[in-house]
Amino acid sequence: MTADAFLFWFLAILTLGGALSVILMANPIYSALSLAFTMICLAGVFVSLNAYFIAGVQAIVYAGAVTVLFVMVLMLFDLKHEGKPFSPGVASNALKLVFLGIFSGLLIGVLMISHFFAEIDVTDKAQLPQEGSRALGVALFQRHLFSFEALGVLLLIVAVGTVSLARSKGGTHAKH
Amino acid sequence: MGNDFFEITVNAIKLVVIFLMIVQAVPLLVWVERRGSAFIQNRLGPNRVGPLGLIQLLADAVKFLGKEDAPPNKAVKLLYYTAPVFALIPGAIAYCAIPLSTPISVEAFDFFGRHFGPYRFAMQGYDINIGIVFILGISSLAAYTILMAGWGSGNKYALMGALRASAQIISYELALGLSIVGVILLYGTFNLTEMIAAQSGPLAFRWGSNQYVFSFLPNWGIFFQPVGALIFFAAAFAESNRLPFDLAEGEAELVAGFHTEYGGFKMLMFFIGEYAHMMIASGLVVTFFLGGYLIPGFTVDEIKNWVGTFINNGTAVSAVVCAFHLLSYLLKLTFLMWVFIWIRWTLPRFRYDQLMDLGWKTMLPWALGNTIITAGLIYWSYQ
Amino acid sequence: MPSIEVFTQIGMTHYLVLSGLIFVIGLAGVLTRRNVIVMLMSIELMLNSVNLVFICLSKYLGKIDGQITVFFVMTIAAAESAVGLALMVAVFKRYKEVNIRFFEHLKG
Repeated sequence: MTADAFLFWFLAILTLGGALSVILMANPIYSALSLAFTMICLAGVFVSLNAYFIAGVQAIVYAGAVTVLFVMVLMLFDLKHEGKPFSPGVASNALKLVFLGIFSGLLIGVLMISHFFAEIDVTDKAQLPQEGSRALGVALFQRHLFSFEALGVLLLIVAVGTVSLARSKGGTHAKH
Repeated sequence: MGNDFFEITVNAIKLVVIFLMIVQAVPLLVWVERRGSAFIQNRLGPNRVGPLGLIQLLADAVKFLGKEDAPPNKAVKLLYYTAPVFALIPGAIAYCAIPLSTPISVEAFDFFGRHFGPYRFAMQGYDINIGIVFILGISSLAAYTILMAGWGSGNKYALMGALRASAQIISYELALGLSIVGVILLYGTFNLTEMIAAQSGPLAFRWGSNQYVFSFLPNWGIFFQPVGALIFFAAAFAESNRLPFDLAEGEAELVAGFHTEYGGFKMLMFFIGEYAHMMIASGLVVTFFLGGYLIPGFTVDEIKNWVGTFINNGTAVSAVVCAFHLLSYLLKLTFLMWVFIWIRWTLPRFRYDQLMDLGWKTMLPWALGNTIITAGLIYWSYQ
Repeated sequence: MPSIEVFTQIGMTHYLVLSGLIFVIGLAGVLTRRNVIVMLMSIELMLNSVNLVFICLSKYLGKIDGQITVFFVMTIAAAESAVGLALMVAVFKRYKEVNIRFFEHLKG
């Protein structure tokens, strides 16, 4: 067993375990903490795919900012009298799970068929330059410049919208 | 990690030594903090146990270890016990990525009939190409420790302290990250070792076709990025939850913040985490703005040649050069740590709205402006 | 057909199957949970699984553009969760609970 294979199986099991506990934990705070754990494991998977910069950004943005926001909001809410965590109805849930099973079976079946029977060249082409972050920057600011700028405008709009949604009269900064 | 047994062993030992360095620096820093605060406030400080009160550290450690473990009744046991352990991890992992000195190159040698090829051991835990992104990513996980401790304690004050502290950390992370962008633009790399290499020699820059050299100043980042350095240092204070930003443990309103319910060794773990954050912040300031391990006035090659006139063994020369640069690095680090302590005992604490205003309305716009102006200047200087 | 090589030779299919499984888990979370914040978290999981596909294909096809897409997806996911949490805060202030059934009060 090579180091690569060991790393992959280790990270894959941790990631799947984290993802499962996100949806199975009854307490949403544990779900959020498991989500953070899953994000960090996924950053590890990205490292194993040679995407170092994206892995760092994943740790900063997802694990360091987005999930911390989730945890903070959940702790602020302090949901003491929460009802059932899962949706009611045995039959509808069973139906949902059956269709999920069919969906995942289809997804993995297609991947397996393409892996074993289709003549696809999936060998590692290794054309990516070693200095990945430099190539990323060049591609981002030359070929994808317009999308980058559009994303900036979107972020501005989202920031304004979020503030106007969340603020209310008599907040922390209200002048009396 | 390495190609053969010798290299892997040395690299593994190196990691352990750096971790122990962080842990062992804490008692010394506590001593400096207590004596220094006494000096600033015109008191004596601990001076009874041993010479200059140095043995006080051992007495403190024994006291911490001997305390009773008393979890609160309503604590969530899992989070309550894991939080102090996690407090250590981000600091220790991130500090390993900071280069401490020049690499030691070991020449090829024979040992018990086996040949060992030439080695090059970098004086850091691991050399990562995207050093800054790695350190920012790892140290941004520190917010979880605080949230876990606050929630796990099952105490209202601890939870309020944790919420304040994590809000503060993720607010100041923006200013921290943006203030580094100027540095990254300046050196054109994420790699910390390359950044330090770019700061060697006298202060020199080019504007258009003219080259300006100031031979009496070192080529340090602080002369190119003074605003960035100031914002980075201030944001690093907020990140490590030190006064004047220690809103999390404002005693008057929050008892002691997220570690209200912790005592004994678990408290000490939080302490070590806080000091590790101070060390990372100081180490990064040294690396970005104060020339890293470089000795002002001399380049690495000059020192290597000078040492080479006394010793003619290549391994020994690189070891001596490494020791000199390590000393230089430690002097700068110690100075910055002293600044941390100095400011803690000089400035009063901010109010919470002042803290948020400073982060979002002052430091963030200044860091943004610094980034834009730096990018413009770099662009025009190459016209 | 399956042999020991499936475990020792890690290729593109392994990563794709992993991301498919994460996607299905996220989908199950969205379908079965009642708490809106947990549903948001499950959506984050699904977005992450798509990110994994992009990065995997970027490596195995030798093109950097997959990583750029991941960059964009991450930004939009952060924005989406910020808006979602702001909505949650607004709902919580009114009903002291963040169950999905309160969203039917949104219709005018």
